[in-house]
Amino acid sequence: MTSPDSRARNDWARRLGLFRRRQRRGIAGVAGGLADRFGVNDGYVRAAFVTTATIWGIGVLIYAALWQLTFDIEDDRPVRTIDSRQRLGLGVAFAAAVWIVAGAGLVPNAFGTLVVATISFGLAALWDRSDSPSLARVILPGSRGALSVFRLVGGLILVFAGLGLLFSSVGAVSEIGFSLLAVAVTIAGLFLAFGPWMVRLAQDLGRERRERVRQEERAEVAAHLHDSVLQTLTLIQRSEDPRKMASLARSQERELRTWLYGRAPVPGEDLLSTALEAAVARVEDERHVAIDFVLVGDATLDERGRALVGAANEAMINAAQHSGAGRISVYLEVDQEGAELWVTDQGKGFAKARVPSDRRGLADSITGRMVRHGGTAAIESEPGEGTEVHLTMPGIKQAGVAS
Amino acid sequence: MTRLFLVDDHQLFLAGVKTELEGRADIVGVAADVDEAISSIRRTRPEVVLIDVHMPGGGGLAVLGAVTETNPEIKFLALSVSDAAEDVIAMIRAGARGYVTKTISADDLAEAIDRVKAGDAVFSPRLAGFVLDAFAGGLPAPADEELDQLTPREREVLRLIARGFAYKQVATRLSLSVKTVESHVSAVLRKLQLSSRHELARWATDRRIV
Repeated sequence: MTSPDSRARNDWARRLGLFRRRQRRGIAGVAGGLADRFGVNDGYVRAAFVTTATIWGIGVLIYAALWQLTFDIEDDRPVRTIDSRQRLGLGVAFAAAVWIVAGAGLVPNAFGTLVVATISFGLAALWDRSDSPSLARVILPGSRGALSVFRLVGGLILVFAGLGLLFSSVGAVSEIGFSLLAVAVTIAGLFLAFGPWMVRLAQDLGRERRERVRQEERAEVAAHLHDSVLQTLTLIQRSEDPRKMASLARSQERELRTWLYGRAPVPGEDLLSTALEAAVARVEDERHVAIDFVLVGDATLDERGRALVGAANEAMINAAQHSGAGRISVYLEVDQEGAELWVTDQGKGFAKARVPSDRRGLADSITGRMVRHGGTAAIESEPGEGTEVHLTMPGIKQAGVAS
Repeated sequence: MTRLFLVDDHQLFLAGVKTELEGRADIVGVAADVDEAISSIRRTRPEVVLIDVHMPGGGGLAVLGAVTETNPEIKFLALSVSDAAEDVIAMIRAGARGYVTKTISADDLAEAIDRVKAGDAVFSPRLAGFVLDAFAGGLPAPADEELDQLTPREREVLRLIARGFAYKQVATRLSLSVKTVESHVSAVLRKLQLSSRHELARWATDRRIV
């Protein structure tokens, strides 16, 4: 490709717009390139090569010459089409040339050339897929039909005429042999005519199915995004309160995360983590705080687990209401001995001695809940140092443990 | 001030972090894709690279791998919003000194960057929880006693980090110096990077950290 010779050759070919195809090619892409150059279906060009090949191998020589003289090129280059009248002219000129050469007796085997021309052009017409994506479109009325039907019928006639000619030239066979041959020719003709369509029909069906699945997935994603994310974005735009905005964004983030990365819930198995996560989400939404939730281990949800979640819920609400902190940490650890849970805030804290009576009640509700189910609760706080509620619930059944 | 390089494919986020860190770090460059990041980091030689885990073209991991090969002295801090745990663990095992989430406050981020520059490790509460989970005790005979298990002290430190405490608060609670807390976390980071525990990979695939 880099020698001066080949560059000159390329210039020559480029001026004429000739090239060879790289993809969808039979031998060297010569026929395909010519077809793209003139905007005709490559089947006809191949038929022309095959036909002329029967005349002293002219087709083969031309093919070889073009192979040598043109360069190959990637597909998807703009096709320089010629209009349908020019195309028709080309076809007529080619037919006339073959006719004259064959008729003038200049051809070694005029009959053979005729047969090959009829069959190959008939097949090219049948297999021309340029505007008939599937058999259904050709046969069903109302589709872009006239030309395709014309091509179908014309192709069939040509193929069978050609096969008939070939067949009639076979002399001296018995009557049985004759009818067997007739059947064979008919079957071969039908196969040649409809084989490619059958293959394409099957491919189309597979493609349509894949496309449908993809579309359904896309529709599901779109529906989900519409129901959740778009709605939330609208709400955020209409909201005046920055705390509420942040809380909306956060709850949407949580929901989207669960949707994207969440583990599918196992039916019949309620987990401590799931229940606690729901409680965290509720407090975040209702109290407009951010809660960092970290989980180590997990447990199946039983009465004790429910009590633990209930107490944690109280602790989170308490922290959200009184600490003044914008962020609360919740840490749950489950091991063989049971569950431990901390609700921590870095807020203003309080002196234990001076807890107002309503908050003592709340502390009692946390402690009471835990103690009733065999657990403990400890609340630690110093003014200015934040508050930490430490809950333990022994004997909770560990779940999902690596073993 | 730490000479810092930012890598993130979200321009908006990049701009936000840049503004937030102004005056707290010396930002020597930013990059929005893998190739640009690798060549610019090699040229500007920052002390710390703050790097997004997920990016087109190989992600943070590709940058980390390429830069560490030529400039092993440059330290990486991974930053991410919504990545699967396996990616984060892959970053850390490839040599990142820590991992923080994009929701981190500007003060905490600045502190984390300085800590990484000093050679210490930075764990978010979720990462601490993940390590505790992955190194959970009671497993049959680990291959390497020293690398495959956490000491009780390390476990305590991680638990406090998971509960949302800063290193200083952890130190106060355990009556340790901040330096000692830092060295415990660095030891855990080393175990996380070198441990051959097969559970790590498995845990990482079914959990999310962020």
